[in-house]
This record gives sequence, C-alpha cells and structure tokens, in this order.
Amino acid sequence: MRRIVMGLAAAGVIAGSLTGVQTANAAQPSMPTPSMPHNSPPIITALDCYGTTGDHGCGPGFFWRDGWRGWACYPC
Amino acid sequence: MNSRRLGGLTVAFFSAGLTLGAGLAAAQPDDYSALIIDPNVVTDSQAYTAGPPTMNPGGQPGATKVFTHRDGGRTITDTVWVLSDPAAASSALNQAQSTAAIGNQKLTSAAVGSGGQLITGTSSDGTQSVSMLYFTEGNAASAIEFAGPAGDPVPSDLVIEMGQKQDALIKSQLGA
Repeated sequence: MRRIVMGLAAAGVIAGSLTGVQTANAAQPSMPTPSMPHNSPPIITALDCYGTTGDHGCGPGFFWRDGWRGWACYPC
Repeated sequence: MNSRRLGGLTVAFFSAGLTLGAGLAAAQPDDYSALIIDPNVVTDSQAYTAGPPTMNPGGQPGATKVFTHRDGGRTITDTVWVLSDPAAASSALNQAQSTAAIGNQKLTSAAVGSGGQLITGTSSDGTQSVSMLYFTEGNAASAIEFAGPAGDPVPSDLVIEMGQKQDALIKSQLGA
C-alpha cells in the first residue's frame, strides 16, 4: 500500500512539473511580428550599369562582362 | 693485350659511360613547368590560354608561363624558381623585385606563402595596369605578373586567390 502511495505521489510530481513547463512556455511572450506599412511604394534599389535589373543574375552595381575572371559579374 | 687494344677498350668504356651519363642527365626532373598554376582555376575555366613554358628564367632553376586572356588585352605571367634553400629563394625574389619596372608603385603585404608582397601600378609607359605578387614557399620563390588595361587593373582578391593556389601547388609538388 505504501509503495502504491509513493508511486502515485511521484507520478503526480512529474505530471505537475510537466504541466508547469507547458504553462510557463505558454506564458512566454512571443516575438512581435514586424508590421509592413500599408500602401507604401515598392522599395527600389540601384539599377545595374545599363539601367536594367541586371543580366545573368548580377545584382545592382554589377554587370556581366568578360574580365579578369572571364565571364562574370563585375562592378560598374 | 697490347697497349693499343687496351686503349681501344678504354675509349669504348669511356664512350659508353658518356652515353649512359647523358641518358641519366636527360631523365633528371629539371622541368619545373608542372609547378606553374593555371589561372583558369580561378576564372570561368577557359579565359586564359597558356603559352609554351620557358625553363630556368633569369638563369635560375625554375619555369615561366605566360597566360593570355581570350580578349588579348590581359596577360598573367607566372614564374616559379626552385633554389637550394629558403635564403636563396628570398634572394632570388629580391633580385626579381628590384628589376621590376612598375610605375606609381603601391606596395602592400599579401597573405600568400612567406613574405607575400603585392605591388600594384602601371607599366613604365603608363599604358597598362601592372600588379606583381611575390612570395616564397620553402626553397621556392614565385612571381606572378598581371598586366591589363590601364583602366581595369586586376582585382586584388583575384591576385591573392591565384597566389594561394600557386602556393598550394608548390607545397604539394615540392613538399615545401
């Protein structure tokens, strides 16, 4: 009988602690979701050397040409 | 066996020895062109075409290769010398550095091999951009020249990258 009581008590302690953890986690404040401005104009970054969005995936400020590394994106 | 026959045998043995010696000498691995890195390892893989190697540039054991860009306006000249010891390698490099004709020189240290130095500037007539990378690795010394359009000097990151590839090749080939 004593063993049964001790077993139930131990189970209760474990269950209680787990429940507490869940509660604690649920109580953690979540990171605020960044809000997007409504009706804002699209953000436009610099264009490539030819005034387009870039050839061969070159980003702004770069363009595609045959240079020291062969065909690659090079700064304007 | 008279003296004339003995003399003939001596000549025959001497001749055979000379032939054997010449054969061994020809088999000596004094072709250092395998130490030259191909710049296409740091390009789109086919931008440069290699010229024939020049052996023992400047009278020192080693090799030089000139790589020409397909646009015809850029060249990379890679030289590796293999000397008797690190001190001789440093000496050879200092000599090569002192004779390099580069105008408007800017000298910076480069993280390549031992004592890596990068000199950027122009050709003596100012019509070309010129960058020279010098370094030693053990008893080997390396000088890599990048010559191109005056308004389009070689990017420093390409120089360093190629120098590090050259350094790695020397280490792997010579165990420096």
